[in-house]
Amino acid sequence: MNILTIALRNARKKWVRTLLLLLVFTLGVVSIVSLNFVSRVVGEGLEKKLVSFGANILVSPKSEKLTVSYGGFALGDMLFDVAYLDERDTLGRIDTIALRKNISVIAPKLVVMDRVQGKAVAIVGVRFGQEKLLKGYWTVEQGAIPGEAPVPRAAAVPAAPMPADAGSHPVSVRPALPLSSAKASAPAAHPGNGVLVGSAAASKLGLKPGDAVPLGTSQMIVTGILAPTGSEDDNVLLADLGFVQQAVGRPGKANFVEVAALCSACPIEDIVHQIGAALPGVEIKTLRNIVEQRMYSVLFVKKLILSVSLVILLTGCSMVGISMLSAVNERKKEIGILRSLGFSRRAVFSIFFAEAASIGLLAGLAGYLAGYLVSFRILAVLELGDGAHLAFEPLHLAATALILALLTSLASLVPAWKAAAIEPSEALVTL
Amino acid sequence: MTEATTASAPLGTAPLLEAPILEAVDVTKSFTQDGTPTQALKGVSLSVAPGEFVSIVGRSGSGKSTLLSVLSTLLRPDSGQLSYNGLDLTRATEAEINALRHGDFAVIFQFHYLLPYLTALENTLLPFMRGLRPVSGAQRKRALECLERVGLADKGHRLPGQLSGGEQQRVAIARALVKDARILFADEPTGSLDSATGATVMELLGQIHKDGLSVVMVTHNEQYASLSDRVVRMADGLVAG
Repeated sequence: MNILTIALRNARKKWVRTLLLLLVFTLGVVSIVSLNFVSRVVGEGLEKKLVSFGANILVSPKSEKLTVSYGGFALGDMLFDVAYLDERDTLGRIDTIALRKNISVIAPKLVVMDRVQGKAVAIVGVRFGQEKLLKGYWTVEQGAIPGEAPVPRAAAVPAAPMPADAGSHPVSVRPALPLSSAKASAPAAHPGNGVLVGSAAASKLGLKPGDAVPLGTSQMIVTGILAPTGSEDDNVLLADLGFVQQAVGRPGKANFVEVAALCSACPIEDIVHQIGAALPGVEIKTLRNIVEQRMYSVLFVKKLILSVSLVILLTGCSMVGISMLSAVNERKKEIGILRSLGFSRRAVFSIFFAEAASIGLLAGLAGYLAGYLVSFRILAVLELGDGAHLAFEPLHLAATALILALLTSLASLVPAWKAAAIEPSEALVTL
Repeated sequence: MTEATTASAPLGTAPLLEAPILEAVDVTKSFTQDGTPTQALKGVSLSVAPGEFVSIVGRSGSGKSTLLSVLSTLLRPDSGQLSYNGLDLTRATEAEINALRHGDFAVIFQFHYLLPYLTALENTLLPFMRGLRPVSGAQRKRALECLERVGLADKGHRLPGQLSGGEQQRVAIARALVKDARILFADEPTGSLDSATGATVMELLGQIHKDGLSVVMVTHNEQYASLSDRVVRMADGLVAG
């Protein structure tokens, strides 16, 4: 038995009041904790989804570009020389940066121009595995992505994820066949020589799955047609990067690398800086709009949760404060007797302080545990739980309990101070 | 303004022979009630010798309770001198006052003022629960002795609500005794009790006095006052005799 016994016994004696306070505060903590858990899962899910809408960092070799106009005739932008990145070296160096864990996709590309049926078209060499992660919005209208089984037309679905190393198979280059004979004797497509055709390019060139498309001395087989995306992908042919490199005689080369970074927890500038340091002499551009838009979406959810949490906490603290204040008035004589027994002001203060802190501590512990369990239910009801991982962190539990104890203690400052200021004479003496 | 503090012989009181341990000289105290200033003590002098039993009697509003509160440090006087064993209580720090309240001074009131959520034993132990240090075995033993002395050894586990009025007052006396105080201040200790229970409480106070404690008691009851060594009569904020 010590001074805390007084605080705890009083809380036990006034159990209805204590229970109500505890309940209100616990419910507040449950709301905050579960909202926080849910927002974290939603935020992470949102980030992953946002990544599928494209890259936010562009790595390209430095090149000199001129806008040429002469005699009133505009020649457009011309590259003084076309530089290439070494694919393996570039990817290897990006892999070494400290913030690598914040990078979700690294997608190298080699763009070549060729003519198909006499019409100029861009053929983009990509690693389909990475490209699909970057472009979750892709839907294959006919056929399939190279290396995948064809999807029936009626059941055309968004591109499913591929293994990360997909598209990096050794490329075998087959001799080209005339386009006219492709239908009759088209060689079978394999992961290396398959080509995915953008919707506009397919209609412009009249391509469909199974058609052969020449590239240099090699030949590619159309495996699928993309549904319109509204992006540049509609106008190009997408083939395996390794195949394209071999076909155009630039093995291991890439024109640029698109990087998608998760940025809610890290400044994009840091990633850019680290990539720049790992790849000297390379140009790195941040697609700031995309980054900011992504970060805004994630931060908005977090700010909303923070605001709601603050309102809940303020309400809870006000309740504790008001309740303690009325308790001080009710217990005036009790305070008087304690003071007449030699209890210092500090001792009286600490009784009320301890009472409030114990409510906060219990509410923090119970609220966190309940909030953790409720989060699973919320995620299940909102169907957000797929792949979500809610980690139980004892450190967070302890921190929540301590913060709550601190908050309720702060809320009890004025009542406790008022209690400490009571003189035994004013409480006990009838004059 | 100062009046003689010794009561007359017919009242059964004896003159102060020893050096006082508690002494008030020309003490005044005023209050403002409903905007009207009221002078409760108009220059009172009183001395209490070691082991002396002093009763303060007087009509309601005569200032006797105010005087007891001033003597027991529950109220600070406006002017005058108040000393305990050489310590000037008018200039004492709050820490010194707290130490006195916790040590040498003990107060019991007309109402028991027990903490309703603590048992009789815990209420008796209350003076030892001032800090984080747990109550020791010796302190618990001392509390049990005090409860035994007031005749409640078998009711230590009961809450105040489970005790009669007289028992509650006796727990309050045990709480006052547990500290080994030197002066017991009692403000109408029998005021809320029936005559039989009041007599029991007075008997207890008499025993405490016999054990060597100084007792200063405020009472309306002349019969109980007559049990003390000295009776001080208050009237209109002054010692009347």
